[in-house]
Amino acid sequence: MLMASTNENAVELQKVAKRYADIVAVDYLDLNVKAGEVFGILGPNGSGKSTTLKMILGLIKPDSGSVKVLGVNAQEDPVAVKRLVGYVPEDLHLYEFLTGLEYLDFVGDIYGLVSSEKKTRIEEYLQAFDLEGREGDMINSYSQGMKQKIALISAFLHKPKLLILDEPLAGLDPKSARIVKDLLRELAAHGVTTIMSTHILEIAQAMCDHIAIMYEGRLLALGNIEELRQKAQLPGSNLEDIFLKLTGTGAVKEVVEALLK
Amino acid sequence: MNWKNVARLISIDTKAGRLIRGGRTRRYRERRIFQYLLYGGALVIGLAIGLAVGNFYGGLSNLDLKRTIHESAGTLFISLPMLILFYNLVLTMMGQIQRAGVKSSTEPLYWLPITWEEHTLASTVAHLIGLPLASIVLFSSAIATFSIYLGDLPLAALTIFALLASAFLASTTTEIFRVLLSRLIGAIYKTSGKAAVWVRFVGTLLFLIAFYIIWFSLTSGAGAVILIQAVAGAQNAVWFIPYVWLGMALASLISGLLVQTAIFLLASILFILALFYLAVKLNTRFGLYEPPAITVSKGVYVSKPSFLGRLGFSSLEAAVIRKDFKAFTRRRELMYVFITPIVFILIPLMQYVGIWGGSTTPPGASTFLLPWMLLAPGAFMAMTVGMMIIGEEGSSVWLFYASPITSRSLVKCKYAFICILSFMVLLICGVIGILVASPPLDLAFAFLIESMLLIFALGIVSLRAGIRGADFVEVPRPRMVRPLTSFLNTFLCFGLAIVILSPLIPYALEIIGMPIMRIDVYVAVSISAVIAAIIAFAFYRMTLKSAEEFLSKAGS
Repeated sequence: MLMASTNENAVELQKVAKRYADIVAVDYLDLNVKAGEVFGILGPNGSGKSTTLKMILGLIKPDSGSVKVLGVNAQEDPVAVKRLVGYVPEDLHLYEFLTGLEYLDFVGDIYGLVSSEKKTRIEEYLQAFDLEGREGDMINSYSQGMKQKIALISAFLHKPKLLILDEPLAGLDPKSARIVKDLLRELAAHGVTTIMSTHILEIAQAMCDHIAIMYEGRLLALGNIEELRQKAQLPGSNLEDIFLKLTGTGAVKEVVEALLK
Repeated sequence: MNWKNVARLISIDTKAGRLIRGGRTRRYRERRIFQYLLYGGALVIGLAIGLAVGNFYGGLSNLDLKRTIHESAGTLFISLPMLILFYNLVLTMMGQIQRAGVKSSTEPLYWLPITWEEHTLASTVAHLIGLPLASIVLFSSAIATFSIYLGDLPLAALTIFALLASAFLASTTTEIFRVLLSRLIGAIYKTSGKAAVWVRFVGTLLFLIAFYIIWFSLTSGAGAVILIQAVAGAQNAVWFIPYVWLGMALASLISGLLVQTAIFLLASILFILALFYLAVKLNTRFGLYEPPAITVSKGVYVSKPSFLGRLGFSSLEAAVIRKDFKAFTRRRELMYVFITPIVFILIPLMQYVGIWGGSTTPPGASTFLLPWMLLAPGAFMAMTVGMMIIGEEGSSVWLFYASPITSRSLVKCKYAFICILSFMVLLICGVIGILVASPPLDLAFAFLIESMLLIFALGIVSLRAGIRGADFVEVPRPRMVRPLTSFLNTFLCFGLAIVILSPLIPYALEIIGMPIMRIDVYVAVSISAVIAAIIAFAFYRMTLKSAEEFLSKAGS
């Protein structure tokens, strides 16, 4: 039975703050992500997106506030949270001395998959992402896109209830990108929540049910595309225009002209 | 050639090595004093040696002895360029083996408008920064000071020039060797197919063994003296080999043959330039050569519940142990650790055969060989692997942070890996040691048990150090553990090893002719076991705490 987005929150952030010395990465952020939705976090570089994602996963402890993931407190029991989550980081660093297959086998074991299930899923994903024939090669010979595919498969492999994807489509060929997009929509229909960060605004507009725009660690706007248009007072505009207006980074023309002088 | 580019490239190459890393360091910082301490120390030691020898020479009234010392100094000066060449060749090659042999085309330096001449010169000079340069500073300062007493400044000046030229010659040769080796390795991988992983493993080990044996020969006192005499005597016979021309120039100067000196000197300079030109050409051709992919397997095969599972390891723990075994047999910089036990076996065996010789073993020889071969390799392995086992994860450590791994599981699988690897080394070294030394059964038993106790205790002590001092920097070479942590842990392990072995001290004293009252060997081993258990348990608790902190501070 398909499960649409429910009213239950998959992720709840309450007054979450994180500082690095004199830099405020996240500034008392309140954010709820509903179960079964594809949720986009957008923001300029250094706006606190990656830190927020890492706090949700329990990789970083917030200085204050609380993070609940699927009912589990990420600070108190980060291991339980990690069992439920599939994660693709922005900076991909895989074990280059392993083959793609060995890496996926390793990740499957880490999440305690039984052999037969692991084998079936790995075969299916390798086929879907056109990696068949290269799975026995060491990862150090893979292109960036192939590494991204391996990272995505390793995030999907254990059927997580929450996916945290930092720039998930970076480096992917059009077919694989389409597969990921369709897969995320299907998974959402089955109740899997996805939180993704991306700078490709067309992708965010096409894929996300709700979008949060962050700036300097704060939440500037939150809602679906229509709600964001209203907030930005830009009816009929696309996400790029909304983003540039809300983040105050819209004076692009002047910048380009100055650079051309 | 843009000299500023060369200077910048050298600076980048050496900067990473000087970076001071700490738990919460966000900005680059370094202590400049440490940068110059090595050279300052070498200069002071060189001056002190020069002054001491010079004063001794100046104070001599026996003219025959003075003449003999003068002649010996000449022999030494003639041999020095060749010695420096050998020494730097080994040092720079060892430096290269720890780095990625193939330069990655993704490194920013290769996109920038820098010529291959600049790259090659910077790389050649950068190889020499550190110990090689410090050794030249030491010899040069000693020679310059002593030459004042000898009254032969031109000879000193030429010797110092020859030392610098020899070091550059060695480094250029290494650069050529590196490029050719990476190209050759690529060709071997291509032809060896699935066996490529093992070809690389065995090839790297053979390479390291060869260089360690040369290194040991060069640095052991007797070896160096033999080499000096051999080099000084043999140079004339092999004058046609360009590598000896610098020494020949010095020999000609000592003999007063100024024209011959000039010819050999000029020929040496031309040879160095030709070699450098060759290095540039090879770098241009193969510098960014991408080796073919190593195919390890065909088709989908996944691991099944394994032997490790039956031993009580969870699938997560077994996966990490399997992954670490692959890392240690596939990553060149990690294969380095296998060399230690091999050297532990080979060097004493070579001495055993070489010094005592023949078929008769002298009394007492086996008594020293046995503890060396049974106690040292396993314990050393446990200490080394323990310190690097967390840092070797490098930038892939994010997977540990993002995985559902508990601190207990992390410690369990990493500690198990340290012990398994160290026990394998103990087994091999132990069998060879027992076969060669044929000790009494109780003695062999005692040493085997003591070695296991050392592995258990030092393994967990070093794992804690490895967690606390993990260094995930991978460029220009994987660092794995902070130098200070490594230094302190080595001392700690040495102290704890003495404490664990202390019940056996009466036996050691008896062997060296100082008999004191001793207890039964089995009782002594039992007391050792209790001490080792207490140490291992205490450090296990501390390691768990360190692992918890490590996993919880992932993003810090």
